[in-house]
Amino acid sequence: MSITGNFADFSLPELLQFLDQGKKTGLLQIEFSPEAAGNSTKHTHYIWLHQGRLMAAADRLDQQGLTLMIAQRGWISERVISRITQISSCFVNTPLGLCLKSQGLLQPEQLKLLFHSQVLRPICALFQAQDGLFKFEPTLALPLGEMTGLSMCASEVILISLRALRDWRTLEEKLPDPTSGLSSLIGKQLPMQLNAQEWQVWEFVNGQVSLEQIANQLGISVKTIQQIAFRLIVIGLAEEHFMVANLPTPMMEEPISESTFTGSVPEPTQRSNVSQSFLKNLVGFLRTKAA
Amino acid sequence: MEIMRLIVTGTVGAGKSTFIRSVSEIEVVDTDTRATDETALLKQKTTVAFDFGRLQFGPDMALHLYGTPGQSRFDFMWDILICKGHAYILLIAAHRPREFRQARKILNFMKERVQIPMIIGLTHTDCPGAWSEEDVYLSIGYIDKEQRPPMIKVNPTQRESVAEAVITLVQRLMESCAV
Repeated sequence: MSITGNFADFSLPELLQFLDQGKKTGLLQIEFSPEAAGNSTKHTHYIWLHQGRLMAAADRLDQQGLTLMIAQRGWISERVISRITQISSCFVNTPLGLCLKSQGLLQPEQLKLLFHSQVLRPICALFQAQDGLFKFEPTLALPLGEMTGLSMCASEVILISLRALRDWRTLEEKLPDPTSGLSSLIGKQLPMQLNAQEWQVWEFVNGQVSLEQIANQLGISVKTIQQIAFRLIVIGLAEEHFMVANLPTPMMEEPISESTFTGSVPEPTQRSNVSQSFLKNLVGFLRTKAA
Repeated sequence: MEIMRLIVTGTVGAGKSTFIRSVSEIEVVDTDTRATDETALLKQKTTVAFDFGRLQFGPDMALHLYGTPGQSRFDFMWDILICKGHAYILLIAAHRPREFRQARKILNFMKERVQIPMIIGLTHTDCPGAWSEEDVYLSIGYIDKEQRPPMIKVNPTQRESVAEAVITLVQRLMESCAV
């Protein structure tokens, strides 16, 4: 079943987290209107995932994106790549990057650079984009011609991209509230490497300290702490923890507008157990309503 | 009088008020109350609002339904309501992914405060762009299939559908009481 939506509803970091946690395999298509793309044509990005890992990205579907990237760097010409893919049997079931590496035409470091340029850099840019429409279509078909052979789990991509993000305007409303704290979602072992500031915030992931207080204690702006907290949340390490202010509980008094009431509202009293016979009676009564 | 208090919570536009209205025997009361303590001195008019419905099914037996306040911030009113509730249903509109994050926040808040039986009611499942049950589970943080609460499709405008949802929740409560 395909999933559709737009970035105003579901931001790209949240979407990638969802695809990662669901171990989804398929093609994520992101489309920008001509106005949003700043030109006269519709702009489309494609990201391929396998079991929640990002395998490749391109702005075309003809499987020529990676070839062009390699050629533009002057590493191998398009003609040579074309020739190799025609004569080499490895390309039948091997990603283009690995195929070229096995022929000694590309080095591991070059593959890493290509993956960075093809996947990480564009995704960081997409995090800043507004008004994108997305569609995720489950499919097992992977574009070997666009694949370096490297892959990265979506959470890592989110973390790296959010660290590099400079313009947070599109994610502003997704940031956790400064009055909230953070609680951990994992055991002692952190599944990924945190940077120094993230570690500092991680020390306060105990559901006791608000982001405002963390900012005060660390001498870092609240906005920065919110951004770090968002990173920890969206990669599944922490969860926003709500701290209701310790205000005295107000008493209920008479309603302001009597006319809107058909009866008084009982203030919930202390929770007492309900008996099994009560529950059975209730179910029996509701069955008559449901029939 | 034996009373069961059922909390109806959920995201904006998921159908909380309609849900209560569909099963309540009284006109649903939308409260608008003033705080009478020191808070009132600081702020002339502290408004809190929630829906209330009732279903009396015996001379001394009644189901009370409380809808959580509409505002997105959690405050003392949430605490008052949920700490007294016996069970709750979280309503999520399947066609509004924008609200899934809020649904997750509500879940976290509830989990922090109470350990009571709950179910998820998925509404608007026939609307264009509605997400599947599996995808909604994932988007609100239920990755492990073994740890998921029941999720049922519910149409808040239909009394039968709401009654079915309440039955499911009551059965959850019966199971938890029996343990």
